[in-house]
Amino acid sequence: MDLSQPVEENYANPKTCFFHVLFKASALAFYMLSTLFADSFVIIFVITVVLAALDFWVVKNVSGRILVGLRWWNEINEQGESIWRFECLDHESLARINQKDSWLFWWTLYLNAVAWTIFGIFSLVRLEVDYLLVVGVCLSLAIANIIGFTKCRKDAKNKIQAFASRTIASRFSSTLQSAFSLV
Amino acid sequence: MSNSHSDTIPLRPSNSQSDIDEIRSLIDDSVHSGPAVVLPARHPATTPPPSSSPFISSNIPPPPPVSSSSSLQKLQSVPAAPPPPPPVGNSSSIVANGFGPPPNTLTEPVLDTVKRDLWRIVSNLKLVVFPNPFREDPGKALRDWDLWGPFFFIVFLGVALSWSASVKKSQVFAVAFALLAAGAVILTLNVLLLGGHIIFFQSLSLLGYCLFPLDVGALICMLKDNVVAKVIIVCLALAWSSWAAYPFMSSAVNPNRKALALYPVLLMYLSVGFLIIAID
Repeated sequence: MDLSQPVEENYANPKTCFFHVLFKASALAFYMLSTLFADSFVIIFVITVVLAALDFWVVKNVSGRILVGLRWWNEINEQGESIWRFECLDHESLARINQKDSWLFWWTLYLNAVAWTIFGIFSLVRLEVDYLLVVGVCLSLAIANIIGFTKCRKDAKNKIQAFASRTIASRFSSTLQSAFSLV
Repeated sequence: MSNSHSDTIPLRPSNSQSDIDEIRSLIDDSVHSGPAVVLPARHPATTPPPSSSPFISSNIPPPPPVSSSSSLQKLQSVPAAPPPPPPVGNSSSIVANGFGPPPNTLTEPVLDTVKRDLWRIVSNLKLVVFPNPFREDPGKALRDWDLWGPFFFIVFLGVALSWSASVKKSQVFAVAFALLAAGAVILTLNVLLLGGHIIFFQSLSLLGYCLFPLDVGALICMLKDNVVAKVIIVCLALAWSSWAAYPFMSSAVNPNRKALALYPVLLMYLSVGFLIIAID
């Protein structure tokens, strides 16, 4: 067994990864370099928030599905209660998820939130309330995605464990059954 | 191997392939011979299809990509901008049963998601703002809330106001945006604290959609400069907004407290209306 050359996985979905990073990076970059582009706060605000919202949508609906096979949303049922629903790919597909993809997904999610927090601290220190508004909106979008996907991942793990234990239990009982039936 | 399989099956160490072969031979025999075949006790209900997938031998149906529900009333989540909750309508009812078809929302093409979200915005708008005699109980309408529509309307209103302003454009925008966003949150809290039954995001979504008439009013005021015309247009827009918001807000609270819940809403829309008139 030749372990000297471990198999190098490439990104399985390069286009999705690209878009996943693109909107986050452009929102951050635009915010940082805003004074070079436009001197009107309105334009900066609108473009940054639109980019952040696009990023939120892309992560939630596209890259979450394709890169890590998770999805979350909120529904209101008949009784008027709000239910958070989580959806994940089945066990075999989850096991086949590209490791690089999922690494990129989670790390850019966290780094994005950290970057916006740092910007927020800067604008707080400089007492720029307007920019604090921008940072606040972008940060809350980032945090919403993080929370949603973390809950979804935990839920997926629970489901897999439940499935695995059910499989083991059923196998066990069927083995017992067959053993006893032939006695 | 293929002697009479009708009563006993010889004991064998089981692995999936041998199970499959066994089943296959049993089926063949039953087809050829006719008498009832005694399947081994291991495979009671579901006879796995004779394909060679390695995961067949369990009796459990293939794991549906089922959603489990965890209910949370308040989640530290999105204020002014939207989580578009995707599967709605038919697929939500499938998911709600627990065992539906394979993940059609997980593997659907991106264009489908976009179309579905856009369609949801339009349908929510129609539901909330336009007169609809077939509208079901207002408390239950807007059940598939989404925040994309409100986000767009708030931004549009801010941009329209800022455009009409000749000075301090950025301040106008920031004030309008913050006023509307914070106002929606506070109004929702007001309803909740009055003992009303409304979901936080549903209410945010509703208040945002009811801004649509004011958006239209602001757009028209941007184009016309006559003060009297502006007043008339804004009054009409205000009346429309309040008319749209009324059934939802009033059905959410105790009838004694209807006025307490509605008055702040009217006040907020009134202040936005003044902002539209006063900007020149």
